[in-house]
Amino acid sequence: MSDMDLVVEICGSAGEGTISAGEILSRFMSEEGYDIMSFDSYPAEIRGFGKCVAHTRVGRGEVLTPGKYSDVLIALNDIHAIGQLPVLKEKGILIYDNKPPKYHLEDQSVVGWLEPGMIPYGIPLTELSIKASGNSKARNMVALGAFSALFGIDKTSFIESVKRRYGKKKQDIIDSNVNSFLEGYTWTLEHVRKIDPFRFDGTGAAVKRDQLIINGNEATAMGALAAGLHLYAGYPITPATKIMEIMSKELPKKGGIFLQTEDEISSIAHVIGAGYAGKRAMTGTSGPGFCLMSEFTGLAVMAEVPAVIVDSQRGGPSTGMPTKHEQSDLNIALNGGSGDCPRVVIAPTQVDECYQAAVLALYIAEKYQTLVILLLDFFLSNSIKNMDHPSPPDPKYLNTHVLPDDGDLPDFKRYKITDNGISPRTIPGKTGGMFFATGLEHDERGKPVYDTKSHTLMTEKRHRKHAGIAAEMIAPHITGCEGAVDIGVVSWGSSAGAAREAVAHATAKGIKAACFSTQFISPFPEQALRDFSKRCKKILVPEMNYSGQFANMIARYMERPMERLNMVTGLPMASEDILKKIEEIA
Amino acid sequence: MTIASETVKTIVYSTDPRDFGLVRKSIPCQNACPALTNIPGYIRCIHEGRYGRSYELNRMANILPGVLGRICSRPCELYCRHGESDLGKPVSICSLKRSAADLKSPMHRIMEGLYSPSGKKVAVVGAGPAGLGAAHELSVLGHRVVIYEAFEKPGGMLMYGIPEFRLPRDVLMLEIENILRLGVDLKTGVRVGRDVSLDSLLSEYDAVVLSTGCPSPNNLNVPGEDLENVYPGLDFMERVNRGEKPYVGKNVMVIGDGFTAMDCARSALRLGASEVKINIRKTEEYMPIDEQEKHEVKFEKIRFYSLVDTKRIIGENGRVTGIEFLRTKLEYSPVPPYRTASPMPDSEFILPADSVIVAIGQRSDPASISSRIKVSGSRILTADDRFSTDMEGLFAAGDCMSGPANVISAIARGRKCALEVDEYLTRGKRKIQVVRLDPVPSTDRDRSYDFISRTPMDTLDFDERVKPGNKEVEKGYSEEQAAIEAKRCYLCSLTYEIDTKKCIYCSACIDVAPRDCIKMIAGVPVSPDGSLGDFNETVKWNHVAAIAIDNERCIRCGQCYEVCPMDCIHVTKAELIELNKEA
Amino acid sequence: MPSNDHYVIIGNGPAGNHAADTLRENDGEARITILSQESVLYYYKHKLTEYIKGKTGEKELTVRPSHVYKDKRIRLRLGQEVERIDPLENRLYLKHMEIMSYTKLIIASGASPRILPSVSNFGKYLALLSSYTDVLNQLPEIRKNKRFLVLGGDLISFKFIRMLKDMGKDVDCLLYADAFWPFNLTTEMADAASESLRKSGVRVLSEDGLKAVKQTDQGFDVMTEKGHGAIYDSIYAFLGMVPNISFVLGSGIDTDRGILVDDHLKTNFDNVYAAGDCAQIYNPDIKSYWLSVGWKNASVQGEVAAMNFLGAGHVINPSPKKILNVEGFTVDTSWWEAFE
Repeated sequence: MSDMDLVVEICGSAGEGTISAGEILSRFMSEEGYDIMSFDSYPAEIRGFGKCVAHTRVGRGEVLTPGKYSDVLIALNDIHAIGQLPVLKEKGILIYDNKPPKYHLEDQSVVGWLEPGMIPYGIPLTELSIKASGNSKARNMVALGAFSALFGIDKTSFIESVKRRYGKKKQDIIDSNVNSFLEGYTWTLEHVRKIDPFRFDGTGAAVKRDQLIINGNEATAMGALAAGLHLYAGYPITPATKIMEIMSKELPKKGGIFLQTEDEISSIAHVIGAGYAGKRAMTGTSGPGFCLMSEFTGLAVMAEVPAVIVDSQRGGPSTGMPTKHEQSDLNIALNGGSGDCPRVVIAPTQVDECYQAAVLALYIAEKYQTLVILLLDFFLSNSIKNMDHPSPPDPKYLNTHVLPDDGDLPDFKRYKITDNGISPRTIPGKTGGMFFATGLEHDERGKPVYDTKSHTLMTEKRHRKHAGIAAEMIAPHITGCEGAVDIGVVSWGSSAGAAREAVAHATAKGIKAACFSTQFISPFPEQALRDFSKRCKKILVPEMNYSGQFANMIARYMERPMERLNMVTGLPMASEDILKKIEEIA
Repeated sequence: MTIASETVKTIVYSTDPRDFGLVRKSIPCQNACPALTNIPGYIRCIHEGRYGRSYELNRMANILPGVLGRICSRPCELYCRHGESDLGKPVSICSLKRSAADLKSPMHRIMEGLYSPSGKKVAVVGAGPAGLGAAHELSVLGHRVVIYEAFEKPGGMLMYGIPEFRLPRDVLMLEIENILRLGVDLKTGVRVGRDVSLDSLLSEYDAVVLSTGCPSPNNLNVPGEDLENVYPGLDFMERVNRGEKPYVGKNVMVIGDGFTAMDCARSALRLGASEVKINIRKTEEYMPIDEQEKHEVKFEKIRFYSLVDTKRIIGENGRVTGIEFLRTKLEYSPVPPYRTASPMPDSEFILPADSVIVAIGQRSDPASISSRIKVSGSRILTADDRFSTDMEGLFAAGDCMSGPANVISAIARGRKCALEVDEYLTRGKRKIQVVRLDPVPSTDRDRSYDFISRTPMDTLDFDERVKPGNKEVEKGYSEEQAAIEAKRCYLCSLTYEIDTKKCIYCSACIDVAPRDCIKMIAGVPVSPDGSLGDFNETVKWNHVAAIAIDNERCIRCGQCYEVCPMDCIHVTKAELIELNKEA
Repeated sequence: MPSNDHYVIIGNGPAGNHAADTLRENDGEARITILSQESVLYYYKHKLTEYIKGKTGEKELTVRPSHVYKDKRIRLRLGQEVERIDPLENRLYLKHMEIMSYTKLIIASGASPRILPSVSNFGKYLALLSSYTDVLNQLPEIRKNKRFLVLGGDLISFKFIRMLKDMGKDVDCLLYADAFWPFNLTTEMADAASESLRKSGVRVLSEDGLKAVKQTDQGFDVMTEKGHGAIYDSIYAFLGMVPNISFVLGSGIDTDRGILVDDHLKTNFDNVYAAGDCAQIYNPDIKSYWLSVGWKNASVQGEVAAMNFLGAGHVINPSPKKILNVEGFTVDTSWWEAFE
């Protein structure tokens, strides 16, 4: 098993330590040198006794998706875990409590539903937890102990990892966790006969390392903070709230300003105000909040004020499905608001890319004095990935105001027509640098005008900025076979990982395939796509929306028929689904 | 004294029927013990290392703890809560009793609550367990007691029925000695009905207690039973216990499924038999002996041969050569153990045998004492629970009035009979039963104790067993083993109760409950005897009158006690004790 | 008309599967569930030795794929052990703490290797092998180890020894007189068997027994009563089988060596039947109780139990279903007497 690749789900009730067990496991695996990706789900109600699933994929190679099906299901709650059995693989493994305090009624025991071929390992989770810690709350740690024993995980390293995680907690909490882990570990070694082939030991994992284990929201917030964010104004909304939480803690420490506003309109207004004042500012929201901001997005573009909006997409329209995944805000991100309104749209495809994307967003907004929309989605916001500690942003991305020469000041033309569309601007307070900033069409000095010529020139100038941005954008990510291929998969945002993985699997199966994905949606790497398109017999565009918003958008660059894979399952794109489609059309 | 529903703050002695009901239902082992031994109490003492106190707690109910700790048929363990199907195996109650006797100090002080001499004289006929129990209690109560024993040694079946490898005679004699030291006069070798008449005893003594047991073996009533080397089990054991070596040959067939049959088989093995079979009519499952005993028998390579019925014993020249059996099949019967075996027609087959021991039960023989005694079958007829016969001053206790029963029942009956005799002699009750309620500040137990598995008893190797000397097979627990086994006891005498006045119905206790021991109830009915019945459970919150702990399901793990945010769970030690009425 | 019946079959061997199939063929409506202690699909037991040798794959070992059960609407619960039965309430208590109800029950739980009293002192050193699960657990050891001692006498032991020899192992065999199962070998048979084994290079130790076993770094240091001493990597015991009935004990369903059934395979409960290796039946021809041996018997009994379940009134026939060929002699028995 040199290419260890395991998807583990821990399923329990809220309050049973399900999510924290998943986190402990992914953290440890990452420290051990494995690539991980987690995507947990928990009840829509914040406090409830609903179902929680901690879903983690651990792999030796690069892990691009959390995996649609699981190899191992750890059931902390039978009823909830029964609901996860459909995603357990044919030869999947179930770890369950074989000695719960009370008998389950018929068909309410998870192991009772196992399909032939699946492997059950019964562990007396509750009993061992009580034995080790005096209560049944440490069942999650007992289960991790059992898991470690079954899959050849070094117990000493694991315990060290747990101790590091609980470092600042009381000793008895650490002891209770460690003892419960050991109880599960020892019991399993002594009592369970392993019949599955999975083992981590002997897989020659990479060198141990200290890495970040973070989700897309955290990476975004980290990037923004590193890029010198000064103000964050926002209104809570799933799935973007986490960014706001981080900002509320971190910004004040750095002398920045955090504001929870009365609504999203106010949030974007604050951001534009700060941008006008020369400070880097950002807001974060999801579809419904983004709609409210639409009018102000126009102002940022028209008045040429830097502004960054993070839109973490969720199931829509309207309130839709707050805790479900979808990629259906592309249309509004690209086209929302009134008028000819060029804006920058960046959609990172992986958690680690969120960091750089946030840096770039603030940089572009400041330098090009315009609106940048960072398009995340529920999956990217919540999926957890290991990544190296990012190096601080290149200084060229910091403090990038394009300021006028003092000689220009006596007759300051704030909206001077330039070749690259960027007009030097003053920061308010600069002597002689006063100007009108308005949402009305204006002349070079900012004075409202309505004549044909001015509007034409100004509209052109605003659009000209994109050529400069295009020159600075991150190149598309192209993987798979080189040269002519049968299938070319064109993907964007968080679906790109699944697309790359599917293409890799297809290639391994002998299908000639390649994958094109881009973080930059606007401006768009048109030529690169045309070049890619030329070597593909067929083009497949998978995305998590119904109408094919991305496919519709790129159609104009290629003018050729496309295969589409559109799904609105509320779940992340799965490589299995893309692979199936590839095999269908290949 | 109305105690039951109120939480006790200090020690209280209650005679409320609800408290008697509580003790009866919540301490299943004690209730199953014919002598009502305070089992949680004495096990707790072992846990604390107080072996002497443990021994004395036993002695209050049973004057032969060292003996019963070895050979009791353990009715308590069948009911031990730890043995319920989801909880593991019962506590080794019996072996712990032996530990109390074994581990107590050799300087141990015997406690006796002696009453002043009453001037009354009582004769006890038979020095078996019932007679010894009666004699001891009567002496304590101040009466002058004379025991008439037909054999040359006291002990009855303990001395002549049970083999030495199960009960060393020094243990037996020491505990008998402790009874005799109260001034009991033991006349051995005197058979009432032959050497002295019952009538003369009745005229000489203020009361006479018959405790003559069941000395007459039952017969198969099949052809060939009179052949040489066919022994009634009781006679066989008596001869072995007298030190004789009856001929068994190599191939021994024992017929019967009780403790005596096992003793005969195991003794035959020690007399040199190489193949011993125990032939039973039903199956192992329905044998009236415990699993431990079955295990020991099998360990000694003795085989059970089930589903067979003896048709006749076959012989040549007057000596046994074999048995002709019929196969049987099980059939339902309305009385415990709910099965009978009936032979199947045309299923005869023959197995060879050098000797046959027939141990299929025994009966009492009142006619040999006096023809005037009224009988029911072969049992002496007594008034219900009063042990009195229709003859003035004549009482009967033990197997002679109950039919064959276990030793602990005989001791219990002897003692109860003595109390009846005392009431007859003094025209009043001097001892009464009460429930002692004692609030305790903690649950006294660690949850981890619940996961300790039953401590096996170390025994002799097979080779050691068959060596001459009849060495005791079971070695007894060491101090460490006893300490571990004692931890396993749930201490069911600790009863748990939720104070409904303080409970906030958060159900945190229900969440941590290890089984369905805490219930939402609409009410509790009162049984005809004044005790509380089973809870009326409900799942509808608007019907819930209280959240209550079912002490019959509770395993005293203390989880609820620890989790309760209101500290409204109280633990009370409830013990059945005997009080001196005059005090 | 929809049926509310739930037929539960304990056991996933030939008896259990034939019973399930028969029930489905005759009752299209009822729920049918098979419970199996092992986690593997229904397999051919007689192919296990070939599997150990590597001559047969997992696929050939499996009688049928799992979708067959789906097609027949038979719910297969693998790896699920019955802890006890409450026949009065028609309930099964499963070891993983689930209560299951049935309307009718067939117990076809098979048999496991027995440890004779004569070797019980050495129990912890002895390897036992009778199921696929055992094979899966022991396969690496069997393939790796070189020196084997087989305590034998039963039918399977001969097959196992043949397999070891085919695999090029060194094999010594201790023939236990009381271990011949399912029948008592005559002296001639025993001699023939010994001779045949010897010819194939097996050292046969007869009329001998284990005296001492010590576990050392080199392996098991064995001394026999007759003074044969050697070191082995593995000691295997094949001393006959005992029915798997521990979960039935104390339930009220009558047992002896096996589960007591009448000649319709019915237990003392009207809705509980037993079939295959675990069922003990009285046979008037031999005036004794007997337990069946082998695949064919189990299959037939499974079918008969299922038919009687549905009210057919079939009587089981104890006459041999198979002639057993063992090391140079043949025996026409397919059952063993229920007495040691």
